[in-house]
Amino acid sequence: MSNTDDTQKERLSRRGFLKNSGLLAVALPVVGTLGPARESPAAESPKTPAQVGMKYLFAERGACTGCRACEYACSQYHEKGVTRPAKARIHVRRYKGIVDVPIICWHCEDAPCVKACPTSPQAIRKNKDTNIIEFIDDKTCLGAKCNKCMEACPAQFLRRNPDTGWPLFCDLCDGDPQCVKACAKVAEGELAPALITKKSGGGVNLAYRDVTPDEAAESLIQNFYFPNNEGDRR
Amino acid sequence: MAAPRGCYFGKLLDVDLSSGKITTKTLDEKICHDYLGGIGLGAYLLYKELPAKTEPLSPQNMLCVLTGPLNGTACPACRLNVSFKSPLTGIYGHTQVGGPMGNELKWSGWDGIIFRGKAPRPVYLHVHDDKVELRDAGKLWGKDSYVTDEMLKEELQDLDIKTLVIGPAGENGVLFSAMIVDRFRAAARSGGGAVMGSKNLKAIAVHGTKAVPVLNIEAFNNAAEHACEAARTQEAWDGIKRMGTAVLIENANYNSGTLVTKNYQTSWFPDVGRIGAEEAYRTFWKRNVSCPNCPVHCMKVGVLRNTSFDGLVAEGPEYETGTLFGSNLAVSDFDFMMKAVEYCDAMGMDTISAGVVCGYAMELVERGLLNVERDLDGIELRWGNGEAVLKALEAIAFCKGRAGALLGMGTRRMGEKIGGDAPRYAMQVKGQEMAAHEPRGFKGRGVSYAMGPRGGCHHEGNNPQGQALWTMIGSAVMCTFVGGVPFNKAKINPQVVCDMLNAGAGWNWTPDTYWTTAKRLITLQRCFNIREAGISRKDDRLPDRFKEPLPEGPKKGETFSEEDTRKMQDEYYAYYGWDADGIPTAETLQKFGLDYAIADVVKKK
Repeated sequence: MSNTDDTQKERLSRRGFLKNSGLLAVALPVVGTLGPARESPAAESPKTPAQVGMKYLFAERGACTGCRACEYACSQYHEKGVTRPAKARIHVRRYKGIVDVPIICWHCEDAPCVKACPTSPQAIRKNKDTNIIEFIDDKTCLGAKCNKCMEACPAQFLRRNPDTGWPLFCDLCDGDPQCVKACAKVAEGELAPALITKKSGGGVNLAYRDVTPDEAAESLIQNFYFPNNEGDRR
Repeated sequence: MAAPRGCYFGKLLDVDLSSGKITTKTLDEKICHDYLGGIGLGAYLLYKELPAKTEPLSPQNMLCVLTGPLNGTACPACRLNVSFKSPLTGIYGHTQVGGPMGNELKWSGWDGIIFRGKAPRPVYLHVHDDKVELRDAGKLWGKDSYVTDEMLKEELQDLDIKTLVIGPAGENGVLFSAMIVDRFRAAARSGGGAVMGSKNLKAIAVHGTKAVPVLNIEAFNNAAEHACEAARTQEAWDGIKRMGTAVLIENANYNSGTLVTKNYQTSWFPDVGRIGAEEAYRTFWKRNVSCPNCPVHCMKVGVLRNTSFDGLVAEGPEYETGTLFGSNLAVSDFDFMMKAVEYCDAMGMDTISAGVVCGYAMELVERGLLNVERDLDGIELRWGNGEAVLKALEAIAFCKGRAGALLGMGTRRMGEKIGGDAPRYAMQVKGQEMAAHEPRGFKGRGVSYAMGPRGGCHHEGNNPQGQALWTMIGSAVMCTFVGGVPFNKAKINPQVVCDMLNAGAGWNWTPDTYWTTAKRLITLQRCFNIREAGISRKDDRLPDRFKEPLPEGPKKGETFSEEDTRKMQDEYYAYYGWDADGIPTAETLQKFGLDYAIADVVKKK
């Protein structure tokens, strides 16, 4: 059987469908209903159900041009105006020079990173009012000695602060995400923005977050370029 | 001697490839202030440290990979400049490339890297902030630019490194080979890839996590926002945002009369609809791709379906690549054109020079000055033969046979070797193949080709002050689409750049300083060119073909006459304070603080 047939199968399978849903902007209810049937941590009913009115961040991977304006805005907001993408919470990675994957915190209801934090008391917690993961205590956090939260993040979002070794969490800029504004500015007039902020996760954030950046890149390449039998090049 | 206070880290990596010794070279504040970075700093370093008349492909040549003061800041300046003595032209070679590499290098805490000597075996340089090492590139040697990039990411286990690599063309010493960033972005002009290859340097891989020091962050960010805003709202870029520079292909054919066709014989290509932006938009493009912090997203990536190149993913066509592999060769097959563009990117070749070389060979075959069997190993380079173009490109990249050896040396050397009437049809200035803008249709481009410090290039500015502006863009290492906006000087003008530099580096620049610096940098490049190759008025001219009237198209009958040339030269020399022969005078050199060049330049009078 050729790769193309495999590709077709993959594309028709549910997992393929869910992965590729990264391209669909407004399919929230559809994917939302598919959520509970999946055999993944996300399928377990979240202990903290979503509350209406909380902020969420979404990234439409297919719309991203890789301009990294979001990284600039994020680091400027958090670092007192200093442009330093290495310290930005949001992160955009270009794969094979042809697709761009924004890597964001999906603000999961079940917060696997918090579950994974081994210290007592925990160094991070989910704030039920603002929906962000709060970094409580830099004395409790084991920093570079511990990788538990970073390993637990299904979206591979968490990175270390290059100066301190502590993980960087998305705080939604106190309810007004700067990355979303930056993206809208750049996209204005010609493109659809890749970053969106919504008041409800609708479960779709859990579907998105289970796709690692590598998998997302692969499915974007599939969706945009449909490689032939010799691979993705020629 | 004082360290720069902001916008610069104040240090360059100095890599001696022969001994493998890596040292730090400090940058003086005054040097930064006077020569800025990029093109200017490169010219200064080469003038001061490169022995006169160095053979470009010898180990003594220097390869200066340089950023500018605004790289990596809130300003949308992300390009990278590479300076060296060009093997193609024998004069100052500089080339800029978009993509993420410039910022990444700056963020690693270095203002640039100077390479000297020649490594005993293939190596690449890995920079991760302060950790710098030369590593063995034996496995990478011979790989194309895309595979090299992927292999580096795998070997270094770091998906976020950015790379500058050469392909087989650079390794094989093709005189117009390029350095490639991010698979499709090329630092292409002047043959930097061959210099890199001659040093056995396969790639530079950089990962940076630092922040560029900025003195007054608030004032700087305000000025930078102004620059972003100008690029965002510039109406002239609307077409480019949507269709990239390919949008100019149809425009050049129907409106401006600048579409280079059949080796610059005419500017009218009836099949333009099959190679232009409309065709690409409808059948090819899938995504917009952007450089860091740039609102213009001019790169368009697409894939060929249901053709002989099924599944080929490529970037473009851009205006230059589409024209030079399309209308210039009378190729009206979109698929062959895109395959040629992608092949040049993969092999690391300058698409402009490669396209002009193929067109030149086609014209010589047509005129009977080249024999397909005898000189070209049977590669049927005739107008419109896309398949032969691909064969020729392969021969060039790997220096295969007589065809590869002949075509790989660029049009000027080809003309000299073939002899007879051949040099007349070589579309080059100072050895550099001209780009895809017909100077008879738009005389400003003639100024850019004829007077530009690196030879026939479209990125040098269309009048004396335009050249000053574009040199400053290249020295601050910004992109023309963001930093220059030459079509509407009111929007982002020298004042904005001055504001950024004043806030960032604590200087006291006014637009006067800006223009004086620009003149200093152009004059210094001229001094280098005079010292290395005796460049003077006789070299500042276009090929004689442009004295003949354009036979077709919207600008039918236009010429670039001897009178135009004389006027252009006089105006230019007067603007920069050079004498009638195009040599900077001693007073001019003193005025610009270039006293050290007087002895080399003025005695040649």
